[in-house]
Amino acid sequence: MRPHIIFRYTGLVLLINVVFLLISAVISLVYNDTAFRPLFFSALLIGLVGVFPLVYVPNTKEISNNEGLIIVVLSWLLSCVVGAIPYLLWGGEFNFTNAWFESVSGYTTTGSTILTNIEALPKGLLFWRSSTHWLGGLGIIVFMLLIIPTLGLSGIILFKTQIAPIAKDTFRNNAKNTLRILLYVYVGLTVAESILLVLFGMNVFDAVTHSFATIATGGFSTRNMSIAAFNNPAMEIVIIVFMILSGIHFGLLFSVFIQGNTRIFKSTVVKYYLLMILAATVITFLDLLNKTQLGWADALRYSAFQIISIGTSTGFANADSSVWPAIPKVLLMFFALQCACAGSTSGGIKTDRIVVLWKAIGRQLKLVLHPRAVIPVRLDNKSLDESEIGFNILYVVFYLLIVSAASTLLIALNVNSVDAFSGTIAAMGNVGPGLGSVGSLGNFSHIPGLGKWILSSVMLLGRLEIFGLLIFFVPYIWKIRKS
Amino acid sequence: MRLRIKILSGFFILVLMLTIAGIWSITELSNLGSSVRQLLDENYKSINASKIMLEAVERQDSGILLLLLGKTDEGRKIILSGDSLFALGFEIASSNVTIENEQALIDNIKEKYENYSSYIKNPIIIDDQANRINWYFDIPHKYFNDIKKEINDLMSLNDRTMFNTATALQNKASRAVMPGIVSILAAILFSLIFTYLVNYYFIGPIIKITNSVREFVDRNVPYIVKIESHDEINELSRSVETLCQITGEADNKK
Repeated sequence: MRPHIIFRYTGLVLLINVVFLLISAVISLVYNDTAFRPLFFSALLIGLVGVFPLVYVPNTKEISNNEGLIIVVLSWLLSCVVGAIPYLLWGGEFNFTNAWFESVSGYTTTGSTILTNIEALPKGLLFWRSSTHWLGGLGIIVFMLLIIPTLGLSGIILFKTQIAPIAKDTFRNNAKNTLRILLYVYVGLTVAESILLVLFGMNVFDAVTHSFATIATGGFSTRNMSIAAFNNPAMEIVIIVFMILSGIHFGLLFSVFIQGNTRIFKSTVVKYYLLMILAATVITFLDLLNKTQLGWADALRYSAFQIISIGTSTGFANADSSVWPAIPKVLLMFFALQCACAGSTSGGIKTDRIVVLWKAIGRQLKLVLHPRAVIPVRLDNKSLDESEIGFNILYVVFYLLIVSAASTLLIALNVNSVDAFSGTIAAMGNVGPGLGSVGSLGNFSHIPGLGKWILSSVMLLGRLEIFGLLIFFVPYIWKIRKS
Repeated sequence: MRLRIKILSGFFILVLMLTIAGIWSITELSNLGSSVRQLLDENYKSINASKIMLEAVERQDSGILLLLLGKTDEGRKIILSGDSLFALGFEIASSNVTIENEQALIDNIKEKYENYSSYIKNPIIIDDQANRINWYFDIPHKYFNDIKKEINDLMSLNDRTMFNTATALQNKASRAVMPGIVSILAAILFSLIFTYLVNYYFIGPIIKITNSVREFVDRNVPYIVKIESHDEINELSRSVETLCQITGEADNKK
């Protein structure tokens, strides 16, 4: 590990943050609000720290695996610190813990908030809050590749830890191409959603900030009541469509929209993802129709929006699902664990792993009946390695263990069990809302300080696919390489 | 990039960071100072004015009682001095309207004091002692209580606002140190990075050059030093390398 290389590339990541801080400061200036000084001061300070290594460290074409991993994880952690500074300087409900929680929630595209009154925030800060989603969603590291002129081996190494490992095979082994695909899809979806939302009556500021949050599958809204505040079914339909799209592997979206390829409909994972959403929506709709006073139109509207919002790990709300009957709540929690496809900005275990898990369970059952049979686990006509299946199952088990451990710690801190379990599942899956007081229209302000630190750590673990963050703390990768 | 620019840029950034932190802290402290001044000006003045008005109407109430007891001169004197005092208090309060609803309270005080004043300046003195007491409780004392209530309301409004502003100030004071803390932490981080880079790109190569020259002189080991940066140290290394080659060739010729 060569520290100067780490300084150079994490410095570049900081500079990308500075660009968005400056845009937020300009917005603050336009709206003449109180966030200009905190935003501008943060931009200046972070810019100075970020630009300095560029003066000293020349560009390099060789980045080792360990350096790549350190750059990725350190960039996430530093971005979260940087993201907290404007909140901390602005004040209001933000103390150190709250600012850190909000920033981590933003960058990991979780969307949980500690704010009891979001609308009290100045526009500049609201824009910065949404920007953290957008930056986090695409992965700051992917952005960083933009400004590395030599997108060869170094690009790929940085990229590996960013995208869920299982999605790697569908991207061509070319970081430059992958970056281009991601950028086209990401920016294209954001612009398209913003335009549609404006056309359906949302103002430009809200349209852009909500698009940032949708495409990043984040969930930060500029309103206390989230999407429910607009009470506009047309806007909800637009957001539903873009939430679904944002939950699909971006490489597949690219092949559909740009290359006119219909491969997307042949993908087992995508088929499973869409069918599960459809099935859960229908079940929730029928249950709401049966057990609540809602009419069919409202029941359909709320069930579709809430299931898709949680199922894609976005976390927007058009209704208070914490008062719903038991079956929809269980479905919501299942989706908060599973979330959407790998290769998208979604969090959670991911449908890819769940599909492999179901298939592995199916195979195991067949092996009970035919112990001598050789039964491969296939995904889209491709047999998976036993090691891949083993790692997949290990990941799911480890994921659930972390959720259990963090929930237990929260309960030990006197958080009620519903808030603790659902809040942890939502944090680990980067979903946002859980059930109870941390539900779709609630917030995390009442969680004790230590609990907020636990939840933000869990968000980072989920975003960095658990092992990415854990390996960061292994002393071996920090071994300094002598030049 | 040249060596001088590299070194100077480090110090320049450090100075810039500390300057920004300094300017921000000064601005915050100066804002805090003006907020304290504002707090005193806006609320404390009105509270003081309310106290003056209360003292004035209480004096006038005592004056009426003295009139009722037959001490006419003394009573009138006290009532008039109370009137002057009230005018002073009212003047301060009415020229310092800074809170929502404060003007309405001041208008009420004015109206009620005018009613009160019309009675106490020309009190109807009744001969019968018992009727005098009844008159006192029926008219002047009732007005006295009304106006006292309005003045107390004005005082409470300013009290509450002062408490809220003081709480906000306390919050502001703790926030005022934040830019300083953030800047200091950033400066420490920056200094560590600066130190590492200076060590890696300047001190390390100089030590390498020195050791390699020593090896060449002592044991005739060829001078081979790889310098990553493209600055004067790189040029120095190449010059030393050329010098070593020339010296080596001269030695071989001997």
